[in-house]
Amino acid sequence: MNRSMIQASVTMGQLQNKLDLIGNNLANTNTTGYKSRQANFASLLVQQMDNLDDEKAETGRLTPDGIRVGTGAKLAHTNLDLSHGSLKQTGRELDVALMRDNDLFQLEVDGQTQYTRAGNFYLNPAENGQMELTNADGFRVLGADGEPIVFDGDMDGITIREDGAVLVTRGRQQTVEGRLGIVQAIRPRMLEADGANRFRLPEGTPAAGILEAVNQNDTQIKSRTLEDSNVDISQQMTDLLMAQRAYQFNARSISTSDQMMGLVNQLRT
Amino acid sequence: MLRGFYTAASGMMANQRRQETLSNNMSNAYTPGYKADQGTMRAFPEMLLKEIGSKQIPTANGLNLPINKTVGSLNTGVYMQETVPDFSQGDVRETGIGTDLALINGPLPDENGAVFFNVQNENGELRYTRNGNFTVDGEGFLTTNQGYYVLDANGNPVQTGGMDFNVAEDGTLTVAGRAIPLGLSYTANANQLIKNGSGLFEPGEDADALVNARTTTNVKVQQGALEGSNVDPAKTMTEMMNTYRSFEMNQRVLKAYDQSLEKAVTEIARVR
Repeated sequence: MNRSMIQASVTMGQLQNKLDLIGNNLANTNTTGYKSRQANFASLLVQQMDNLDDEKAETGRLTPDGIRVGTGAKLAHTNLDLSHGSLKQTGRELDVALMRDNDLFQLEVDGQTQYTRAGNFYLNPAENGQMELTNADGFRVLGADGEPIVFDGDMDGITIREDGAVLVTRGRQQTVEGRLGIVQAIRPRMLEADGANRFRLPEGTPAAGILEAVNQNDTQIKSRTLEDSNVDISQQMTDLLMAQRAYQFNARSISTSDQMMGLVNQLRT
Repeated sequence: MLRGFYTAASGMMANQRRQETLSNNMSNAYTPGYKADQGTMRAFPEMLLKEIGSKQIPTANGLNLPINKTVGSLNTGVYMQETVPDFSQGDVRETGIGTDLALINGPLPDENGAVFFNVQNENGELRYTRNGNFTVDGEGFLTTNQGYYVLDANGNPVQTGGMDFNVAEDGTLTVAGRAIPLGLSYTANANQLIKNGSGLFEPGEDADALVNARTTTNVKVQQGALEGSNVDPAKTMTEMMNTYRSFEMNQRVLKAYDQSLEKAVTEIARVR
């Protein structure tokens, strides 16, 4: 098959992935704690062709011998954009937002620890009349001691303080009955998205050096607030238009190459 | 003997090759730091045609004079001689991501000069790139988007430890109180560089050594921005149309030759 068609079709496949990524960002413009991803391209292999044996006859060359033909482009890597999303007041006691970039809440998911930026928490009944703090999907939120946060069920009120302490009101007494375990991602790009707002560490990677626990004094949490998604719609739309045009250009390359093949095919009528 | 038969075929092949170059440029119209290739065509080395024969002079006993005269020179085809990358600056766009760096040339001392980031390929060899779409790997090193180490001015990988670093306009990366000057190289004649895959360039065999760009140019590094590709889609599309028509014309010529041959084969010496 014709090389120019291969180049264009490979690139179109990769552009399709970029379109998928933009579509996913746009779909998550209202997802709490969503972090947008960006993708950039890199060129693929370059083939060196020695197109002439007689190198002495090559007068007036600018470049080293031979010609170099590329093979298209590919999506290089997707970059997680960890900038802060906008904050939205909800007035609900169990909605909390992390005020520092790169901080994450910890969840217990099937025995593994996973991480999230979404701070919309709930109370779920546990065994023997206790309540536990969970996220919207019912996964337990881990405290600073690495254990789930559990309370006795007969409470009159619950609030979360700026340093992550969970205050429970019983009668007239307010006591600290747990503290949210916050970690800071030192290398957030090592985190893999797991869906449902959660991030996880790659298989077999220790958390050391990638995540660090945050001290109580450094914790900055705002309660009754949620962090919105940080997707910039206008930027995504611009990217979408560019990717779509790039797709069309490559399709045009294919049809031009196809017409050239058609001409070859008509040589013998 | 129909000489132009193969000449027309070579024209088709050269245009096919040019189409490959153009469609690769089009593929990379949105690749950061990509430099467009310009295909140049060249005629085959020319040959000299001579007429050899004899002339009869009508004398009593008949005299033959040998003739040997030059008819002229002829090129019997065309081929794509080279692909010359165009090293002009691509457009710079803001991305807001701290690991994206763009090189902004400023006035360069030489016409064909170019400035590059120094990176190390998978075999540990020094390579050059304009694609500043970097990232930080799991060990905290600054790498290209293919995972190649970005090198500092002493040729060592850059350890950022974590995420947040600042890059000043002179290309000095500051992280946790340490200042690391990034490796920036300058070549006076960028045409001596050979394109590798993934946006890397390697110096050709007889290329001059690249020098430190800080002392020779006033290049700026812009953090949070990317240099786009310098492919102009409109120009590429126009050249593609041009290539297509040139290919078509060569195909017409080839067909015309084929029709002449057909006549020779079928109509000469036909017994009616």
